[in-house]
Amino acid sequence: MWYHKPVVNKELLQSLPNLRIIASSGVGVDHLDLNLLSSYGVKVSNTPFVVSTDTADLGMALMLASSRRLVEGYEMAISPDTDYFPADWLGTEVSGATLGIVGMGTIGYKVAERAKAFEMKILYHNRSQRKKEEESAVGAVYCKKIDDLLQQSDFVLLAVNLTPQTHKLIGKRELELMKPTATLINISRGLVMDQDALVEALQKKIIKAAALDVTYPEPLPRDHPLLKLKNVIITPHIGSATKKTRRIMMEEMTESIQAGLAGLPVPHEVL
Amino acid sequence: RGIRVGYTPDVLTDATAELSVALLLSACRRLPEAAEQVRSGGWTTWKPLWMCGHGLSNSTVGIIGLGRIGQAVARRLKPFGVKKFLYTGSGPKPETAAEFGAEFVPLTKLAEESDFVVVTCALTPATQGMCNKDFFSRMKKTSVFVNTSRGAVVNQEDLYDALAQGQIAAAGLDVTTPEPLPTDHPLLSLKNCVILPHIGSATYATRNTMAVLAVNNLLAGLRGEPMPHELKL
Repeated sequence: MWYHKPVVNKELLQSLPNLRIIASSGVGVDHLDLNLLSSYGVKVSNTPFVVSTDTADLGMALMLASSRRLVEGYEMAISPDTDYFPADWLGTEVSGATLGIVGMGTIGYKVAERAKAFEMKILYHNRSQRKKEEESAVGAVYCKKIDDLLQQSDFVLLAVNLTPQTHKLIGKRELELMKPTATLINISRGLVMDQDALVEALQKKIIKAAALDVTYPEPLPRDHPLLKLKNVIITPHIGSATKKTRRIMMEEMTESIQAGLAGLPVPHEVL
Repeated sequence: RGIRVGYTPDVLTDATAELSVALLLSACRRLPEAAEQVRSGGWTTWKPLWMCGHGLSNSTVGIIGLGRIGQAVARRLKPFGVKKFLYTGSGPKPETAAEFGAEFVPLTKLAEESDFVVVTCALTPATQGMCNKDFFSRMKKTSVFVNTSRGAVVNQEDLYDALAQGQIAAAGLDVTTPEPLPTDHPLLSLKNCVILPHIGSATYATRNTMAVLAVNNLLAGLRGEPMPHELKL
């Protein structure tokens, strides 16, 4: 299945008695009830590592676009109402700033590798600390308490997977701990954020800006306040959206299905 | 007339290199286009190949002008999984190029082999109109062209044709001729051309530093003293 449709529930499973395997695109499996599927004897596979590079690239793209006001700038450059480019129209540099990565898995770590080349100071919060060599390769400093990361970061990037523990991980309290000059970037899942709290924080300038590849729901309803805020960039869940990666995802899903149907060990099985 | 000229090199290297990479990523991942789809309601259902762009992983990046800004761009692009750096210019710079393992090639070869072309050279009689029909026709159909140097380095009509005919995949321009482009300019109508209003150095920190440097140049000049950064005429 691509994305998170169809909804996999009891009704669907009961109507498909011969279903042996669900091959899900991407790495996240938060849209699947793994216990339910296990109880029906249905295997699940995902496409974990192939999406990492493109998603990390997009995380960087969103951070840079937000900080340097790229979308606004583009609109100004192409607008028929623009007579001249004002000299005092300015953004903020990413280079040398502090990036706090929440969730230092494969994707989070790749973001750190990229951010290091911009001479960013990197903090990270994770369930467990990474090995010393991994930390020093990117100059990342572990923050056991997320509060420390939130208080010191100019950019907070969410790269956790969605679990009951990370649901609404960033809410009103966390947003208020962030600097008023900070930007939140979300390339994980919309539900990792308390979205209403985010709207309020952006409206009241508790944080400066947000750049989101993921929301809840996707797409947002047409009248949602996030769509109207000037200091928000939203992209339509394109983290892994390159032809090359999508092709590899399809190949991996096909391999998993073939193995599943043949009763062989399933590559990228989610247990 | 014996008028001295001060300028502000060097202090804007990081800001401009950063903006070049930001522009490259925005163009190859179709960021403004995708953001517009979200706002306009064009994003209805999700499809596997919708809004797909081009990734940097295993790519070849060609830098036209491996000066301070070009080097800073290469440094920032390296961890994106770039397989190879090519560069061109008035002559090879082996010590500089060594940091990236970059190969000095003629302009034509750079066009033919690059997945991403970034122009960070100075505008001179030699580089004026350098990126023209011949250049774009050699580039790959899947390639992305980024210019953060000067508008006049690019033949804009030829760029338009290349984009409109699918000779290259996308372009990002921080600089054009003129700035801004006239409201009916064909480049403005292309979805795969991201244009920015010459904001390479446009950050509070960098512009402050540039302003202070400019003033120091001016004061030194008025006092008949050596300037921090004087242009040798």
